[in-house]
This record gives sequence, C-alpha cells and structure tokens, in this order.
Amino acid sequence: MQIAISVGIDAALITFSLALAAFGLAIIYGLVGVINLGHGAMLTLGAYLSWYAVESGAPFFAAVLFAAVGVGLIGVVFEHLVIRHFYHRPFDTLLLTWGFFLISTEVIKIVFGTSFRNVPSPFPSAIHTSFYDFPAYKTFVACVTIVLLLATAFVLLKTSIGIKIRALIQNREMAGLLGLNIAATYKMVFGFGCAMAGLAGALLAPMLSIDPYIGNVFLIRSFFVVIVGGIGQILGGTLLGSFFIGGSETILALVSSQVVAQVAVFFIAILILRFRPQGLLGEK
Amino acid sequence: MKALFAMGLRGEKAVALALFALLALVPAIIDGYPIYILPQYLLFGVLAMSLGLLWGWASIVSFGQAAFFAIGAYGMGLAMQAGLGGWGGYAGIICGAVAGGLLAAIAGYFLFSAGVKSTYFVLITLALSIIVEQLAVSQSEITGGYNGLFVDRMALALGPLGEVPLTGDLASYYAVLVVVPLLYFGLLALTRSSFGKVLVGIRENEDRMTALGYNVSFYKTIAFSLSGALAGFAGSLYATHAGFVSPSLAGVNFSTEVVVWVAIGGRLSLLGALMGGVVVSALSNYLSSISPQYWQLVLGFIFIFVIMFSRDGLAGAFASVANRFWRRRAVNGSTPEARGEASNG
Amino acid sequence: MAELLRTEGLTKRFRGLTANSNIDFQIDVGAVRCVIGPNGAGKTTFLSMLSGHQAPTTGRISYDGRDITGLSVVERARIGIGRKFQTPTVFDNLTVYENIELSILRIVPDNTARGRKLDAVLDAVRLNDQRSMLARELSHGQRQWLEIGLLLGNESRLLLLDEPTAGMTNEETTATGRLVRRLAEEHGLTIIIIEHDIHFIRDLRSPVTVLHLGKILMEGSFDEVASNPTVRSVYLGTDA
Repeated sequence: MQIAISVGIDAALITFSLALAAFGLAIIYGLVGVINLGHGAMLTLGAYLSWYAVESGAPFFAAVLFAAVGVGLIGVVFEHLVIRHFYHRPFDTLLLTWGFFLISTEVIKIVFGTSFRNVPSPFPSAIHTSFYDFPAYKTFVACVTIVLLLATAFVLLKTSIGIKIRALIQNREMAGLLGLNIAATYKMVFGFGCAMAGLAGALLAPMLSIDPYIGNVFLIRSFFVVIVGGIGQILGGTLLGSFFIGGSETILALVSSQVVAQVAVFFIAILILRFRPQGLLGEK
Repeated sequence: MKALFAMGLRGEKAVALALFALLALVPAIIDGYPIYILPQYLLFGVLAMSLGLLWGWASIVSFGQAAFFAIGAYGMGLAMQAGLGGWGGYAGIICGAVAGGLLAAIAGYFLFSAGVKSTYFVLITLALSIIVEQLAVSQSEITGGYNGLFVDRMALALGPLGEVPLTGDLASYYAVLVVVPLLYFGLLALTRSSFGKVLVGIRENEDRMTALGYNVSFYKTIAFSLSGALAGFAGSLYATHAGFVSPSLAGVNFSTEVVVWVAIGGRLSLLGALMGGVVVSALSNYLSSISPQYWQLVLGFIFIFVIMFSRDGLAGAFASVANRFWRRRAVNGSTPEARGEASNG
Repeated sequence: MAELLRTEGLTKRFRGLTANSNIDFQIDVGAVRCVIGPNGAGKTTFLSMLSGHQAPTTGRISYDGRDITGLSVVERARIGIGRKFQTPTVFDNLTVYENIELSILRIVPDNTARGRKLDAVLDAVRLNDQRSMLARELSHGQRQWLEIGLLLGNESRLLLLDEPTAGMTNEETTATGRLVRRLAEEHGLTIIIIEHDIHFIRDLRSPVTVLHLGKILMEGSFDEVASNPTVRSVYLGTDA
C-alpha cells in the first residue's frame, strides 16, 4: 500500500512536470498550427537564462520571470523575421523551427559552454507527512503547473481576448471581418507559447543538470504528450497525455530500466497514432 | 520551377558521369588524407540520397536516417567480430541493409497505413534516432556504450580465388567509387521507372492517386523501406571504412545534418542530394577543425535560408540556369516544338 | 440491359443532419444518368458514397452483382469505379501526357501497349495537341477533360462526374456532351453526372434523377422532369 501511494504520487508529480514542459508546445501547435521543433531549444534557453540570472545574484523567482520573458521575446523576434511568412505552409514552419533549434543550440554552446550547470533548488527539503515525504520543489512545480493550466483555461474560455483567439482559430476569415488583427494575434500566441517554454525550462532547471542538449529529450516527450492527448486539446489533452507518457514511463522504469521504458513508450505512442491518429481526446 | 524536373532532371546523368570520372582520376593527382577521407564523404552522400529519394519523390521527410545508418554501422561492427573471416564484411553489409530496411518497413507500415501526417512522421523518425542513440549508449555489452566499437576494414572475399583486402586506402577508395555510382545509377533508374512515377504521382496529388486505385500507403512503405535499407547499407560500409562506430552516429545532430545536406544540395535531384552530402560534410569537417561552433551556427543559418528562399537547393539553381540556356538555344534553333514549349513556359 | 449499380436504402447522417435518406437507385450498363437538385440536395454526398469516399450510415451498394458497401476508394477504383471531383483533381505540375500515363501505369505495365493506349485516351478527350503542356497551363474546360481522361486511362466502367462542365465555354460544353454520349454508346461506359447546366442536361437526352433534401424526388426523362410542378417549385423556391 505504502509503495502504491508513493508510486502514485511520483507519477502525479512527473505528470505535472511533463505537462509544464509540453504546455508551450501545445499552445503553439493547438492555436496557430505550427509544430515548434525549436521547443526543446527554448526549454534549454530558459534553463540557461535562469541559471545566468541566479549566478548574477538575482533571486530564483526573478530569474524564472527573466527566463520566460527573455525566451518569449526571442520567440516573437523569430516569428516576426521568419515564421509569420510561412503560416500557410505548415511543413516549412516545422523545418524552420528546426533551424531555430540548430542556431540556438550553437549560440548556447558559444555563450555558456558545454559543461554542466546547476541551479540550486529554492526548496531543497521535503515536506514530511505521515505517509509520504513530498519533495518540496517538485510539489511546488506541480502546483505552478495546475495554476498555469487553470489560468490559461480561464483566459481562453471566459475572457474576451480568449474568445477572440478561439474564433480566430475556427475561422480566419470571420475573425478578419470581426476586426481582429490576425497577424498580431498569431504573434502574441506564438510569443506566449515560447515564453511558456522558457518558463518551463527555468522551473525544471533545479531538477536537472543543465547542458545544451537537455531540451532534446523534452522535445520528443512533449510531442508524444501532445499527440497522445490530442491536438487542440490544450488543457485536458496535455494533462492526459502527460499522465499517459509520464505515468507509463515511471511505472515501466520501475520494472525495467529507464531506456527500456523510453523505448516502450515510443512504441505505445506509435500504436496510439496507428489506431487513434487524432489522439485520445481529439475529435476526428 | 518544380515542373521543370517533376519527373527527373534532364542531363543529370551526363553531369554525374563526368563527376564520377573526375573522382576516379583524383588519386592520380593527390594522395594521402583526401584519398582516405573521400570515401566516407561519398558514403554520407549515399545517406543523403536515401533521404533525397524520400523527400524528393514521395514528399516524406525523415529525421531518422541517421538511426538506420547507425544500425547498419553497428551491424557491420558486430558482424566483423563474429569470426566469419573474410566473409564478415559481406555479412555486415547484408545485416546493415536488412536491419535498416526492416525497421523502416515496420515503422512505415504502422505510420503510413494510419495515414499519419507528414509532420508527425518527422517527429516519430526524430524520436527513432534519439532512441537508437540511447540504446547504443545503454546496451554497452554489445555496443561498447559511449566508447563505441572498433571495426576492421573488410576484405572482398572471392571464394576459391581468395580475397582482396581493403586495408589500403587506395583499394577502398576505388571499392567505394564502384559502389556509389552503381547505387546512384540504380536509384536514378528506379526514380524513372513505373515505381518512381507512382511516387511522383503521390507527391503531386495523393487523393488523385487513391482515386485511381493506387494503394498509397503501400508505395510509401516500400519507399521508406528502401530508403532505410540504403541508409543501413551506407552505414555498414562507413563503419568498416572509418574503423569506428559510436552512438553519436544515430544522434539528433547527425540526423539533422542529413536533412541539411539534402536541403542544400536539392531535394528534387538525386545528384543534388549526393553532392550535398559530399560537399557539405567535407566542408563541415574542414571548417569545424578551424572553428567548430561557428560552422554549426552558419549551417543553421544556411538551413533556414534554403528553406525560406530556395526550396530546390543548389540543384534547383543549377537546373534553372541550365534551363534558361537550353531555352535560348531552342528558340534560336526555331523548331516548331521548341517554340511551342518556350511560349508555354 | 444488364444492371451495373444499385443502391438500397442508402442513408448518410452527419451529426443529426441527414444528407441522404433512403436512396434506392439503379443504373444499367451503358446508360447515362443526370442527377440534379438544388444546392444542398445531397448530390455530392451521394456520389461520395458511390466512390467510397464516405461510408453510408445505413443501406447497401451493389456493383456488377456484388456488394461493395464495405470497399475502400482504392478497391472500388480497381473494379472500375472512377470519379471526377467537383474541383478538377489532376496532377497540376505534370504534363498532360504524364497525367494520363499515371492513370494507365497500374493497368498496362508494358511500355509499347501503354503508349498506344495513351494516344487513344488523348484522342478521346481531345488533348493530343496539349500533351506536353502542364496540367495547370490548361483552360478550365481542358482540365475537366483531362480528369475524364484519367478515368478512361484507368479503365473505369462507371464514371461518376461531379459538375463536368463547370468553367466551360459553350463550345466546350457542347463538346463534353458529345464526349459523354460517345463514351456511353461506343465504349459501353456507364455514366452518372451531377450537373447544374440545364442546357447540357437537356441536350444529353438521358434520364434524370432529381434529389431534394437528401431524398429522390422523382426520376424520368428531361421533359417529364422539367414539366413536373413539384420539381419546378423546388427549383423556383430555392434557386429561382
């Protein structure tokens, strides 16, 4: 029983950190239809920016904010220079964001070097309860994720800007008629998604050793999350997908090795694509 | 532009022949390092062609070609250790090609029969190369882990006639220079065969091909399997030539490089892909010895530039120049057909 | 005459909206039939169920004496059901010759035999002079013919033509009418046509099926249909 509870809580914590990592990707793919292959690099960038800020003496939460805003701004610039000309050619946006990945990875290597960096955790201890010791920082990240998802849901579903954005996705022409500035909305959404990637990188940084390639694994996992959950299902899909990918990886890693678990999850994702290409929550 | 060589580039064969002839003469002029390293670049060129076939003819982009290449390379490494004597090399080649082809066939079957979008296909193949890399790292009893695997040069066993060792750089230079043109002309013939035409049809209009009774996912699966087998084959030869295999052969960075080679060389021409592989990997090797990071950075910018402004790569640029030249001659020649074609264009 | 195609109780519902309801339809080998009806009558849905692009909610389709309700688009194309789409679906970046070649490739592997058949198809659709032009350089009318040519090359026995005269000049429309009659009379092809062009339908002098709100309103000769008060009110009421 004790083991079951601790595995369950582990799986939940992993689910939320994965959902956090995948969130920016789900936003950009679900709302503007760009598969952002630069997502992993943006996570890495976020992690390095927060490391840099912390090293320079900034408090942790200021560093996280700095990373989110920084990556968001870089995303907006990239969108303005490159991506906005290619929304009508989705496959090329995929290749172009991959180009972003190439460039950004090299810039990181040049600026920050290739040795491992560590961001000290702001909550290094554990929260003791009678049945389980909660790792404080992971629990904190899970809470941030929940708040972030709920806030986004609220904005998309209840506020006028959210309704406009959703109208835009459903019908571009109609949105144009309603006087929505399509270009600006796309830019804003793209930038927000990038900022969320930067935020995730910064928040995940204390749990990891940062190197220029940490984003790669998160990129692929995030995609599995989005694919399994279902495109456009930004909230429910992201959570369910994260639970599915993170949960099954945790459980499989328990009975075998980490690598075997990753291989197994890869095949599970392919099987889901084979029999439910629209994802678990997606509509045909 | 695209229509120019929708069914293949005219005159490509002659250019290719000339290039191969030049390569055959290279050892007469220089020796040493270039003779050692050129075969490896040529094998990278074959790897690039394995993607060029997919990208140009079936509009499928795979980010997993390095995975197949690495599988072929490890296959060769293991086969050479298996104590088969002079036959180890052949066994390695067969292992590499079959393993690459089979893995691609399985992945292709699952993905194409589900009608998976081309964007998802990229992601799945990208994941494939990450996984193969991780497997190569973790299964260290077989693969040597991070330390990799040392591989001997293979020999050409000729049965009762004995065997020809390829340990000398010149011998293996010419061995590779026989194999690569054979593969190139074989692929060229394939793209101009009925099979190649069907692939072009699928690239141009998948719905129409389905309505004409073509099993599109079947053709895509075959194309992807062929491409995987070709990449595995190139990987097996690379391993025995370079003498060393390591997990980074399967990695994301190498996978990406293959895509960059083809994008720069030109995705609608096999020769463009081959030359992209040879020239860019050679440049990459040369420049990264001078300035490793800045070269990778430049490569990233070139990649974005090519995708944004020159979808057909260098081969496309050459083709349009050549075409302008041909048209001018055709108009001056004033045959009725030529005039008709020029006015239609 | 032998029956080629029959549908029984063919029904298609999309989320509560009934696009086709209980359609019983029958056509003989070598016959030509026009399917007309105001916009939204369910004509294209009906054609899509025949070609396999959409599965019926209920009902069955039999072709050449066998049940084909469960067959895919590819399988139906292989037993001779060919479809021309509402917007011409051809290989825009390939030449007329290459277009037709792709339609024959699956059926005739031999090069010389294929060449002969190619010439015959190009003649039939009057695109012999345009053979080296790209499909996207053709006029609207010629693109329609090219797509019909693809069906001929593919040895379709049942042609499903969705608005074949759209974008055509008067002369081209007349020529298309002649082509349709020739294909039915000389080649024994069976042809179902969705059309709006009343003159084209009249000149074809073939039986007409009228669809309205997903149901068959009536079937008969052009004159019977044109003089029927219900049909007239349906058209006047919606399109005028």
